[in-house]
Amino acid sequence: MFLHKPVLVIAKKEIRDSLRNRWVVFISLIFLLLSLSVTFASSAVVGQLSLPELNLLISSLSTISVFIIPLAAMLVSYDAFVGEDESGTLLLLLSYPLSRFQILLGKLIGHSVIMSFTICFAFGLTAILLLMFGEHYDIAATISQFGQFIFTSILLAIIFILLGYIVSLKATEKAKAVATVLFVWFLFVLIYDLLLLTLLVADLAFINQYIINVLIALNPTDLYRAINLIGTDAGSGSLAIISASDWGKTGLYIVMGLWLVGLAFVANFIFGRRQL
Amino acid sequence: MNTAVSARNISHHFGVDIALDDVSFDMKQGQTMALLGHNGAGKSTLIKILLGLITPADGEIDILGLNIKKRSSRSTINLGYLPENVSFYDKLTGEEILTYFAELKGVGKKRVCELIEEFGLGYAKDRALKTYSKGMKQRLGFAQAILCEPELLLLDEPTVGLDPVASQFLYGKIDELKHLGCAVIVCTHELSLIENNIDTALILGKGRCLASGNLGELRYESQLKTRLTSPSLAALVNDSERLASLYTDNALLLDRENKQDVVQFLTSECGLFDFALKEPGLADIYHFHMNKCAQLGAVS
Repeated sequence: MFLHKPVLVIAKKEIRDSLRNRWVVFISLIFLLLSLSVTFASSAVVGQLSLPELNLLISSLSTISVFIIPLAAMLVSYDAFVGEDESGTLLLLLSYPLSRFQILLGKLIGHSVIMSFTICFAFGLTAILLLMFGEHYDIAATISQFGQFIFTSILLAIIFILLGYIVSLKATEKAKAVATVLFVWFLFVLIYDLLLLTLLVADLAFINQYIINVLIALNPTDLYRAINLIGTDAGSGSLAIISASDWGKTGLYIVMGLWLVGLAFVANFIFGRRQL
Repeated sequence: MNTAVSARNISHHFGVDIALDDVSFDMKQGQTMALLGHNGAGKSTLIKILLGLITPADGEIDILGLNIKKRSSRSTINLGYLPENVSFYDKLTGEEILTYFAELKGVGKKRVCELIEEFGLGYAKDRALKTYSKGMKQRLGFAQAILCEPELLLLDEPTVGLDPVASQFLYGKIDELKHLGCAVIVCTHELSLIENNIDTALILGKGRCLASGNLGELRYESQLKTRLTSPSLAALVNDSERLASLYTDNALLLDRENKQDVVQFLTSECGLFDFALKEPGLADIYHFHMNKCAQLGAVS
């Protein structure tokens, strides 16, 4: 069984390490601040103070989260391997009766727990406050929408943790790993979306809904937004295009799951071949 | 004594670079072996092979009677390891770090507490590692290596950067383990420090085994001469043609064949009793082999 003691020991150590260097507190507060600002203060830009519609709120939250969650996840994970390699503890760990997969899994569980906690804390607290202070919110709908939002946020975080691992496993030093994760973040979160929008606006003859779906599937951040925006009145621009995906939520979840499994496989493959 | 490690014709290469070339050695349980060699001699590769992290391209290694090429054997070998310049997790306390490694090895909390006290870290066990001195970190690392009471202990530069007292403490611990039957391999460049703490040495150069054996065997093999020094030697040399032929750098250089005769000559014929004999040390033997290795490299 993979989930036996060494895996959990490594996971526990990663959690303790993150708590000790205040990563958890820092990320939780950033998420909470953003979430509360979007929820309770976003209407101020149009000169009034009111709570937004649930669909609109989830749309706004996912638009903000898609920037910050991948960055936070990769900053948690970028030194998981290159850092341990530089300090000599990776060589030591590998001299223990542990497989490389157990080390990878232990770290993944630890970092996923950290990101899950911060996401649940920030967005869960927002949902609770919304239900306490907002009068027109349906409890079941709010819990359902926020539940899905939190779940997909956790999936997105795990995907980017794995991307951080791949960078960490390929990097020869920590400084290069930092630069690479920033580039990966920039590519997935900013550039890809811009290119996607450019293609659509150009209205090329070969662009149809199927191609759009494939382009969405090729970027986990777009999948994340598509799941959260599907069936909502998502406004204009790339949000509208993404929300128009006709694969259905199940299909999008499956593709996100494939990303997760695929990246875990790639990370394990690279770790297996990494020379010490 | 049973054989702890038996390596036969180990060869390994990284691409076109030869890391190890036909290296063979044996060591018994309860022995300490120094693994010596210049940077890039193949010491780290050999350690990684012993740890089971690299499978050698050629040759066989048995550790405690088990062939380490078999994956199933690796997990059953009770082995301790202290890497060179290891830097543990700065934010965790000494006790948390030792407990982490103990849990990974399935060792109980009692052993962790014992080791913390044994290594004099009890007063600092709840302090973050970043507040530890180099010596304290190295003691913690050593404690980590012997958590499971290993039958084979691999130490990579265990005393680098340590003061003489801290180094002597570690070698004292190595001696204790040796008497319990643990085979210890120490990879180091601190030759004068390790000389009195080893049973055998393996000298590597450019991936090849240059020499191996105990200090006596290494001296014999190198044919380095014994130095005889005395304050009165210069005056005696002037009067004796025999002594003059052996006199270099304020000392008589004696080989195995003439050592006894010359000492007898000095005591009986010259009445000299105030002299010192210095056998070639590990450092002399090491430098001899390194020079030979460099010359061979230059020729080839």
